[in-house]
Amino acid sequence: MGIDVTVKIGGEAGQGIQTVGELLARACYQSGLYLMAVNDFESRIRGGHSFMQLRISDRPVMAPDHRVHLLIALNERTLQTHRSEIAEGGRVLFDSEAGGSDQSVLHVPVTKLAREAGGRIMANTVAAGACLAMLGAPDKALEQVLRQRFGDKKTGVLENNLKAAKSGVEAVAGVSFDWAFQWPDKAPAGKLLSGARVLALGALAAECRFAAFYPMSPATDVMVNLSGFETQLPLVVEQAEGEIAAVNMVIGASFAGVRAMTATSGGGFALMSEGLGLAGITETPIVIINSQRPGPATGLPTRTAQADLRFMLHAAQDDFPRFILAPGSLESAFETMVRAFALADKHQVPVIVATDQYFNDSLAIADKTLEVPEHVDRHIVGDADMEDPAAYKRFVFTDSGVSPRALPCNGRALVMVSGNEHQEDGHISERISDRIGQMDKRQRKFEGMQKEMRAPETVYPDSRVLLVGWGSTAGMIRESVEMLRDGGVDAGAVCFTDIWPFPETEVTEILDRCQRFYMVEQNATAQLGWLIRERTGRKFAQAVLKYDGRPFFPLEIADKVKACEEVS
Amino acid sequence: MVEAADYQCDFENKWCPGCGNFGIVNAMKDALAALDLPPEKVLLVSGIGQAAKTPHFLKCNFFHGLHGRALAVATGAKIANHDIPVLVNMGDGDCYGEGGNHFLAAIRRNIDVTLLVHDNRVYGLTKGQASPTSDRGFVTRIQAEGARSDPMNPVALALSQGAGFVARGYCGSKEQLGDLIRQGLEYPGFSLIDILQVCVSFNHVNTYDWYRERVFDINGNGHQPGDLQAAMKYAHPEGGRIPTGLIYRKETVPFTQRIPRLNAGPLLGQKYDRDKVQGLIQGA
Ligand SMILES: Cc1ncc(C[n+]2csc(CCOP(=O)(O)OP(=O)(O)O)c2C)c(N)n1
Ligand code: SF4
Ligand SMILES: [Mg+2]
Repeated sequence: MGIDVTVKIGGEAGQGIQTVGELLARACYQSGLYLMAVNDFESRIRGGHSFMQLRISDRPVMAPDHRVHLLIALNERTLQTHRSEIAEGGRVLFDSEAGGSDQSVLHVPVTKLAREAGGRIMANTVAAGACLAMLGAPDKALEQVLRQRFGDKKTGVLENNLKAAKSGVEAVAGVSFDWAFQWPDKAPAGKLLSGARVLALGALAAECRFAAFYPMSPATDVMVNLSGFETQLPLVVEQAEGEIAAVNMVIGASFAGVRAMTATSGGGFALMSEGLGLAGITETPIVIINSQRPGPATGLPTRTAQADLRFMLHAAQDDFPRFILAPGSLESAFETMVRAFALADKHQVPVIVATDQYFNDSLAIADKTLEVPEHVDRHIVGDADMEDPAAYKRFVFTDSGVSPRALPCNGRALVMVSGNEHQEDGHISERISDRIGQMDKRQRKFEGMQKEMRAPETVYPDSRVLLVGWGSTAGMIRESVEMLRDGGVDAGAVCFTDIWPFPETEVTEILDRCQRFYMVEQNATAQLGWLIRERTGRKFAQAVLKYDGRPFFPLEIADKVKACEEVS
Repeated sequence: MVEAADYQCDFENKWCPGCGNFGIVNAMKDALAALDLPPEKVLLVSGIGQAAKTPHFLKCNFFHGLHGRALAVATGAKIANHDIPVLVNMGDGDCYGEGGNHFLAAIRRNIDVTLLVHDNRVYGLTKGQASPTSDRGFVTRIQAEGARSDPMNPVALALSQGAGFVARGYCGSKEQLGDLIRQGLEYPGFSLIDILQVCVSFNHVNTYDWYRERVFDINGNGHQPGDLQAAMKYAHPEGGRIPTGLIYRKETVPFTQRIPRLNAGPLLGQKYDRDKVQGLIQGA
């Protein structure tokens, strides 16, 4: 068995749990380990109960583990809430001056030590130092991270942090810990990134030049990450006066010629519905990231869900073509963003990229290099491409349904666009021939769009039972399949990224090879399961559903599938 | 030389005969010709309503979008390509009702577009409901007891929010209106022209005769547009008279000039350096 250890850090919001987590994550990353850090926090700035779960391994990990080997409790509540999760041989490091450590709970006066090192604020560093020492990390692992993080701060900050780290290390000197491991001394594996950051990087690689947004968890971080590049690239990120403004600004910018996107969550996506339809009827390419969280209405603002699939499929009135893509890993999210912009331009349609809180807020390692495409094809025409620019018609009927797209004020061709039904030149029209003609033209795009769709990724596709899911749960589903196989169940996984237009033939082929399939989704009704039923006629045997706002653990999925298998 | 006739468009007009919008569209053509701007060099953005159909009735590039949202579309287009002169046509319901928040935001951003509000004080396209600028007591089929809310004052609102170019025009004063539109287009920053517009079909109170007795030009009568106090006074019509003309103008920094990157030229035309992006991603 290789290394597979989970550290959980819990406390109140505002205590800097994320900072401890990040220090630990960076220290692991720099030593060449793999990791995944999942954030669990309440919708409040101070108080309450938050935690971060850090899974450390010598192999790539893309799911949280249900077992906790080392719990860092910055308050009593963490101790009480999570004590039961401690794995055999696991320990708790509890911030307490009381002393009296027992077998599992180790009292370490973290806050006191921090004060001695120069201030309460350094409690994070003390905790990180103690935690890493228990895990058997060399002192330099944290030192290096602290130097990077505080090296350019004013004098004293770095020194105090080094002192704090040291006192943390010393506080646990001689403590034995069953889950300590031999730390590698390797170069970092890939890149340490959050889902939100990788989505922003993907947009950059796709030559996105304009983004408008209205703050909403868990989508805001995508925009925060994007705006970090504003001063270095031809890029403008604008905080709009609301989501309706955001999507309409994006449409305006795209109409004028730049690639543009927005990111939001369910409530904001609801407000964007009319704009989505406007992009549909005006055939304006746009990209919308919908970072899902549980609903309806405000729901659980800082938690995770995959419950907007039906909504994304049907948002806005009447029919028009759209893409829905749901990446399942960091690398896939980067590539999906690049593809989203390319597909939007090529087919002149809106593209929705579905992610969620779990994906956006988690940190993990992207193994492959994130490659910027050599060419960006804008599919835009100018006067030179036209026989007679004065006769240009934006919505001319074509076999593919895609009409040559010119830009306004970019030559002699006049670009006339209306969200009302229109004739070929863009002027409003209620003539039956125009209505039918334009509607059919737009619907014809589906054929070309369908050809772009990729089959879901499969693992052990020839298994007796298949576990089927979409988007961010890919990592958990894959791991649960390994658990099932270890337990003697012949199981495989089917993970969707391309959802709409639905890849019917490919999916039917995959599903027809198994005896039965189970849906694994973070919603209450198996939304993808019923979509599969609708598009292929194939019906899932059972569904493993979770809609409490917390991400799946692989064991949870495996246990449920196993239980179903035992009765069937 | 561009002439108003160059903006002639043979698409069938859909307004009622006698509608005040005809005066507005003609004034727009005059203004664009006066600036020597050919149709292919101008972008019109509109919302939804009778007013918002305007771009269909003159030759130009246009984006006819959603009810209330034209300013957001125009903002996006302007950020993408700030070399394009942008005119926005909206109705009073469109701009001040459904799109009220975008109106406030456009003033704060000082986005360099010229907003023409065809203020007929009624919802024309939906057949005559009270609008945000209808008088209290304005009777309609659905407001049979008269409108219950007080009218908003868009000119005073814009002034109070720091707008740099605020004008009130009248659809029946074509020359003055054309001149205001020209000045609005020339103004670097957000310009509002609230246009008193007659709706012959659904507003039988604010008619041509009603306006003719009340409107008067302030600029010919010595008003200095830099005088905010006087502007505030003219924003509030009193004594049964309605001041029209350029009410207020001050120097401001337009939105796209507040973004340092855009000094190098329009976003659309700037070079996107693949290797640089790859480097940034590598280092991220
Ligand atoms: C979201 C939405 N709500 C309502 C409407 C219906 N609608 C169309 S035009 C209009 C109001 C028109 O009044 P105004 O903006 O003053 O323009 P006018 O027709 O008077 O020029 C309304 C409510 C719509 N098209 N879209
Ligand atoms: S309803 Fe009123 S505003 Fe609309 S076209 Fe007729 S007169 Fe003009
Ligand atoms: Mg009106």
